[in-house]
Amino acid sequence: MAIIKTFELSKHFNNLEVLKHIDIQVDQNEIVVLLGPSGSGKSTFLRCLNGLEDITGGSFEVNGIHVDAKLPARQRKALIREIRQHTGMVFQQFNLYPHKTALGNVIEGLLTVKKMRKDEAVHIGERLLDRVGLSDKKDTYPSRLSGGQQQRVAIARALAMDPAIMLFDEPTSALDPELVGEVLSVMRELAQDGMTMLVVTHEMKFAREVASKVVFMADGVVVEEGSPQAFFDHPQTERAKKFLRQITEH
Amino acid sequence: MDLIFENLTFLLKGAYYTLLITVVSMFFGFIIGVIVALARLKGNRLIRGLARIYVSIIRGTPALVQIIIVYYGLVDYGITLGPLTAAYVALSINIGAYLSETFRGAIQSIPKGQTEAAYATGMTPWQTMRRIIFPQAARVAIPPMGNTFIGMLKETSLVSVITVTELLRSAQLLVAQYYVYMPFYLSIAVMYWIMSTVFSSILNYVEKRLSKAY
Ligand SMILES: Nc1ncnc2c1ncn2[C@@H]1O[C@H](COP(=O)(O)OP(=O)(O)O)[C@@H](O)[C@H]1O
Ligand SMILES: [Mg+2]
Repeated sequence: MAIIKTFELSKHFNNLEVLKHIDIQVDQNEIVVLLGPSGSGKSTFLRCLNGLEDITGGSFEVNGIHVDAKLPARQRKALIREIRQHTGMVFQQFNLYPHKTALGNVIEGLLTVKKMRKDEAVHIGERLLDRVGLSDKKDTYPSRLSGGQQQRVAIARALAMDPAIMLFDEPTSALDPELVGEVLSVMRELAQDGMTMLVVTHEMKFAREVASKVVFMADGVVVEEGSPQAFFDHPQTERAKKFLRQITEH
Repeated sequence: MDLIFENLTFLLKGAYYTLLITVVSMFFGFIIGVIVALARLKGNRLIRGLARIYVSIIRGTPALVQIIIVYYGLVDYGITLGPLTAAYVALSINIGAYLSETFRGAIQSIPKGQTEAAYATGMTPWQTMRRIIFPQAARVAIPPMGNTFIGMLKETSLVSVITVTELLRSAQLLVAQYYVYMPFYLSIAVMYWIMSTVFSSILNYVEKRLSKAY
């Protein structure tokens, strides 16, 4: 069953065409890794899926909710809000709320969006912080957490909404190298627990070992897609070969 | 010296009005400031335009002129305000414009990622403002707001021209009665200075508390 499906999804900023007729599908329990050179439109694509950017052409479906570029803005907004309650997003820069503790960050959506009782929300929040290995940090403010810890809180915050899919936009790119591992291992555990994930990353080892499917994007188009083995060992296109050469050089 | 002690209650009453006018104008100015800041950031073209014109006019004209227009000018249109009411109205409108700029800057200083993170969990724009942006913007806005307050404390002396007996006019009345200048003007200067200093140190304390809260 498809959790995400896009139909010729397109996006332009003024005159700049960033996404050109993208067709991608993510099935339930799948881990899809989105690769591509910087500026190819990976972030924009993820942001379209939860409405942080408006699409300008085509349509997409998330968890059965269909959004078409031709819908009037008001109607699209309502659908997007619905979609956001079924998707979790993890940002490169964490974007934790600095004025709230780790636990406060995790339960914020439960309190305001789901209107949950405080004690119920705290119960869920504590469980999730435990899941990302941070139960001892629940009362700590983000400024006193390491980058790796902040990102794990951000993952817990996204999980709190009980999403059908998690979107990751380069979750480890802003981290010091020694902190990357702790975030990736949380993501691996999520994958093992059957979470559906769409991940933009430059961590090739993670992609090879965890992905069910790799999608390679360049200049706003899907150039190649397939199993990680097929993509990494037998890339078909010149673009993909060049990209893999550049990645492995450093 | 004796003259001052004899008339101290009169002067203190003036100080009380100075403080009262400052607090009341600050209170309504705060409300106006928040509304105008939101109008400029979130309103449609018309509302944004109106808010911008309001801020531009207030900042581009002397407070003294604004006070005189509210008190004397509005009479031509059948609106007669008492001196104290006119002072509240004019100064609230005046502070509102300055505070709206403070608030707008503070809201804009919060990184876009904060809004996006809140939206991504399904929060509405208003929930995001209230729960995520305002608390952070408040911290940014409090120090300049304190400075506006202290500035206003001194600016209230302008309403003496519309016969509000605040601190300055108290002194003027005493001068007219006793024909000596320096003792009265010096003593109100000291009183302004004491009030400003007290509020400055309160502000310093608040700023320190704010900077270590998270
Ligand atoms: N808000 C925006 N306004 C204008 N151009 C943008 C905006 N966001 C992204 N872009 C442009 O879109 C292209 C794709 O960006 P992005 O999706 O961030 O790529 P990636 O994540 O693959 O590095 C880039 O050329 C970028 O400059
Ligand atoms: Mg990106």
